[in-house]
Amino acid sequence: MASDLVLPGQPIPLPRGPVPKIGRGIYEKDSQIRASLVGVPRFEGSNLVISRVRPQPPAPNSVVLGAITRLSPLQALLSITVVDDVPLPPGEEFTGVIRSQDVRATEKDKVRIGDCFRGGDVVRGIVISLGDARSYFVTTARNDLGVIFATSEAGATMEPVSWQEMRCPRTGKVEKRKCAKPEGIP
Amino acid sequence: MQAAFDRRRINGPEESFSPTFTNEPQESILENVHRTRKDRNISDIRPIFLQPGLISQANGSAYIETQRTKIACSVYGPRQSKNTTYNEKGKLNVEVKFAPFSCERRRTPLRDAEDRSIATAIQQALISSVRLEQFPKSTIDIFLIIIEADGVEGCIASGSTAASTALADAGIDMYGLVTSCTAAVVGADIWIDPTQEESNIANGIFILSCMPALGIVTNVWQSGRMTPSQVLACIDVCDSRCTDIHSIVAQSLLVNARSKT
Repeated sequence: MASDLVLPGQPIPLPRGPVPKIGRGIYEKDSQIRASLVGVPRFEGSNLVISRVRPQPPAPNSVVLGAITRLSPLQALLSITVVDDVPLPPGEEFTGVIRSQDVRATEKDKVRIGDCFRGGDVVRGIVISLGDARSYFVTTARNDLGVIFATSEAGATMEPVSWQEMRCPRTGKVEKRKCAKPEGIP
Repeated sequence: MQAAFDRRRINGPEESFSPTFTNEPQESILENVHRTRKDRNISDIRPIFLQPGLISQANGSAYIETQRTKIACSVYGPRQSKNTTYNEKGKLNVEVKFAPFSCERRRTPLRDAEDRSIATAIQQALISSVRLEQFPKSTIDIFLIIIEADGVEGCIASGSTAASTALADAGIDMYGLVTSCTAAVVGADIWIDPTQEESNIANGIFILSCMPALGIVTNVWQSGRMTPSQVLACIDVCDSRCTDIHSIVAQSLLVNARSKT
């Protein structure tokens, strides 16, 4: 409701009963709960939050989409363009790194990065930590994480065949990638 | 005899004296002639027009106009810091530019030094109000362009109010909204929100930035000559004016948010 809009610094009218847990967009100071964003406070589960639809920087456990920019024997560099289903403004991408031990969950030491990613692949991953000064640490070690879009050497969009391979429809050639499991497949 | 402390540099005089303020003839004129303010009461601020969300490609923006001071502010971020050092808290980067046509004399945008001091003052006013620990490794860029300037202090005050509105428009976590108000000591009176001509005849000028919602002062800037009791009187008057300005900022943000939903 438009009349429930609160501004930063404004105390939030609480419903009667126990004090709810505070989530994003709200802070507590001197035992007074105040808003930190412009919005309507809602209950998300048991938390009181004010949500914002603006693009935000990646936080641990957020799902990110990015394009592979550089490969090295130990890691793949990722340019993060979408965080939690919100696209970042062009030019404001964050850099992430997928270390070879974070590519998949099994046989972590026998990973060859060239068989998992290539430059230009679009990858879905999850941020594990803030990383170092220049990049966030991203992992693809789950069934639904990995390459979701790749172009073959012939220039066509490839289809995933298994979690390790993708096939080019034009030439029929199979290339190795660490693919994400598409939705809808049991 | 030690001729100079450092032969490689040009040294100043060996003995230095602190400046003395002599009774200039100008001051006696001020004491005798009671200056009256034209077109406003001494405790009135100029009418403010504040509109958030005018610049669509920025994350947040605001435009403020108070008679002859016009400032446009845009906020970009949080974006990745270009620095190679790891910061647990985010950074706030404020840049101010004067348009060449903003003052009576043309300003060169490249070699201007005055905009750096305005940027520092605005950054000090805002930095306590933003929850920087929510944005590790990120920078929030605030760009202000002064389209018409009516006194440097007026630019600092309007600029910090506009920047705080733009930050709220951008959805950046803040503890509260920051508003600023200026005051000038002219003779025995305190004139609120002075224009350029009024600050030229003033003894001293004072800027107060605070968060009225929390009752916290974020920045105080004083230049010129004032007695401590005058400073305290300025703080009291500016504080009540900042609360009025805060209601204007709140109104504009609410109207803007309602029109978007």
